[in-house]
Amino acid sequence: MSGPYGPHNPPGPPGHGPAGNPYPPPGPYGPQGRPMPPYGAPRPIQGPFQGPPRPPYGPPVPHPPPGYGPPYGHPPPPPIRFSEGVHRLHWATAPLRASVFLIAYFVLLGFPLLLTQTEDGITLALTPRVVGRFLAVSAVMTVVAVGAGLWAWLALRFRVDGDDLVVETGLLRKRKRRIPLSRVQAIDVVRPLVTRMFALAEVRVELAGGEQNGIALRYLGHRSAQQLRAELLARAAGLPGHTPEAPERPLWRVPFGVLLASLIVRLPVLATVLLFLASLLFLLMYAEGGMLAVSIPVLLALIRAVIAPMVMYGNFSVAMSPDGIRLRYGLLETRMQTLPPGRVQAVSIVEPAFWRTMGWARVDVTIAGYAGERQALSSTLLPVAPRHVAMQLVAQVFPGTTVDAVPLVPASSKGVAIDRADGAGTDDVVFVTRHGWPCRRTDVIAHARAQSVRLTVNPFQRLLGLATVHVDAPPGPVQVAAADRELGEARAIVDSTARRALAARRSGGDPAHWAAR
Amino acid sequence: MNASHGTPPFEPAAHPPAQQGAAYPSTPSGPGRGGPPPVGVPAPVYRADQAFAPGDDLPWSPLSKRHSLHRLLSAALWAVPVGGVGGFLVWTNGTPVATVLWGVAVVLTVVLMGAVAELDRRSFGYAERANDLIVTHGVFVKRLIVVPYGRMQFVDVTAGLLERWMGIATVRMHTAAAATDATIPGLPSAEAASLRDRLAQKGDERSMGL
Repeated sequence: MSGPYGPHNPPGPPGHGPAGNPYPPPGPYGPQGRPMPPYGAPRPIQGPFQGPPRPPYGPPVPHPPPGYGPPYGHPPPPPIRFSEGVHRLHWATAPLRASVFLIAYFVLLGFPLLLTQTEDGITLALTPRVVGRFLAVSAVMTVVAVGAGLWAWLALRFRVDGDDLVVETGLLRKRKRRIPLSRVQAIDVVRPLVTRMFALAEVRVELAGGEQNGIALRYLGHRSAQQLRAELLARAAGLPGHTPEAPERPLWRVPFGVLLASLIVRLPVLATVLLFLASLLFLLMYAEGGMLAVSIPVLLALIRAVIAPMVMYGNFSVAMSPDGIRLRYGLLETRMQTLPPGRVQAVSIVEPAFWRTMGWARVDVTIAGYAGERQALSSTLLPVAPRHVAMQLVAQVFPGTTVDAVPLVPASSKGVAIDRADGAGTDDVVFVTRHGWPCRRTDVIAHARAQSVRLTVNPFQRLLGLATVHVDAPPGPVQVAAADRELGEARAIVDSTARRALAARRSGGDPAHWAAR
Repeated sequence: MNASHGTPPFEPAAHPPAQQGAAYPSTPSGPGRGGPPPVGVPAPVYRADQAFAPGDDLPWSPLSKRHSLHRLLSAALWAVPVGGVGGFLVWTNGTPVATVLWGVAVVLTVVLMGAVAELDRRSFGYAERANDLIVTHGVFVKRLIVVPYGRMQFVDVTAGLLERWMGIATVRMHTAAAATDATIPGLPSAEAASLRDRLAQKGDERSMGL
């Protein structure tokens, strides 16, 4: 079975429906120049487990005997089978934790111990007495730090038990958490800058329903992290745990220049740049130091709006695999996210004003697993790409439909909102609304994922006989609302959406165990 | 209002649910794309004044009359300390006329809140349809909420001190979406408990993952 992300092309023969072929032919590009192969240049993916493509879910490849020595070793290490036995984090976690503790100790307590109070202030006088005092305290603290690091390392054990990931913490008072893998919303491998130097990685397993629901295993060896991820995904898909990692097909890679250009050519950023230049000009012409109070915050805002996303989304690449969409990104802290099929609740295709002339679009996404601060970190499916690539990705996320082929019924002309509602439409799979000027947003939610449907009429709309239909998704960046519909039509939309959602839930079923169905 | 305005693209699924064995149809025969016309139930057509009707020929179940009384009482209970402290401050710093005006303002506010509570109670209605719970309410902003039983994560019944004394309770239905606000206040306690049980049972029958 090829799985929901299987077929390469958007389903359906091209050229049907009122919108015609939604995608331009994959050859020559739009006006943005820079011809590229349409699905990104195939490139070697980093990571040691990306050998030649293996049969996706064929008979299990014979493994070496299940001896699992140290979780991290040098070539060629036997593959660790996480489904057997109890595992610990990488041993380097203990010294890493101890050194973090020692650094904190040195800054807060150790360095002040080296200082002595004399008549003319505080000086750094390394007399034998001071050094001895420092060494004595440091020795004690080192023992404490090593002990604490070792304790924390020993205290955390995990194993894969049937359909659950079981994490036990504590040596004296034990706590056990069971994470049902069929309910996993996303699995991330995160490598902060420091741990990259030690070939360590953090594995995060996200469940729906809040910040506490989910687990972060920090840190594992990079290879074992990859392998654990593959194993957890296989389990979640309903396959035996030692299934080799599913092969993947690169879909798109965001070039650095395009990312930078796309971050700059946005109206708020351009306005801020103008403001910054104006304040700089004023500062230099009149030598008015007070203008720094304007220039510096504006510069900080620019850094936040351009540099921060660039560092975060640098090297962005999207790949498709049977166990979900794989995203890899990050310049300093690299992340590898895997979104299993059916976990994307809603997407939004965002096209700021200047991006439209370049033919670019961004795809934002709501995933139930990411709550709180992690949501802001993981709400982008594609930071910038040609529109047809974005649409192709959306077609992979919601198989069985093409968003551009969904006919949109224009909103009532009586509406007077600034955030202009363009229209809304639906087919069997998705509900689509489009709104906004100059930044156009197309919000898409799958009927099978809709939580509830609401109809609201505010006093102003009541005067005009209009209503807004909301199709609710779990909290996230995407809110789907068809504003300014005629009252009777709005109610018809509510009923039809409820009915389609029911049909979609019945036929689509539970997204758990996607490969075993 | 032109009722047929939005019918073509929003008509319900072409196949009755029983026929949908396969996953998403990959053929371009979906309705709304000029596919075959739906053969099942005809699309419901609503006039503008029917937009807030429950549908399925069901009546709206009303709330208990004690609900507005409860809100009036709690407004009055709040008004006693607020009015008292404010009145005392006005009386020590101002004229007797101002004190009387303050008192009148407080009483008027309470009466107004009571009136709004009564209007809100009259606008409230819920109906248990075959596959979803439908709730409507709102005086200034009118709302209609359709929550499928299968999307329900849990139901809870809450009753404050005053509510308990008056024998009413609030039933709240939670889904994964925070925006889903399916709250039914002011139900008689026994009715609230049986509604909760019915909802929980229907939710269990149809529940599925996100």
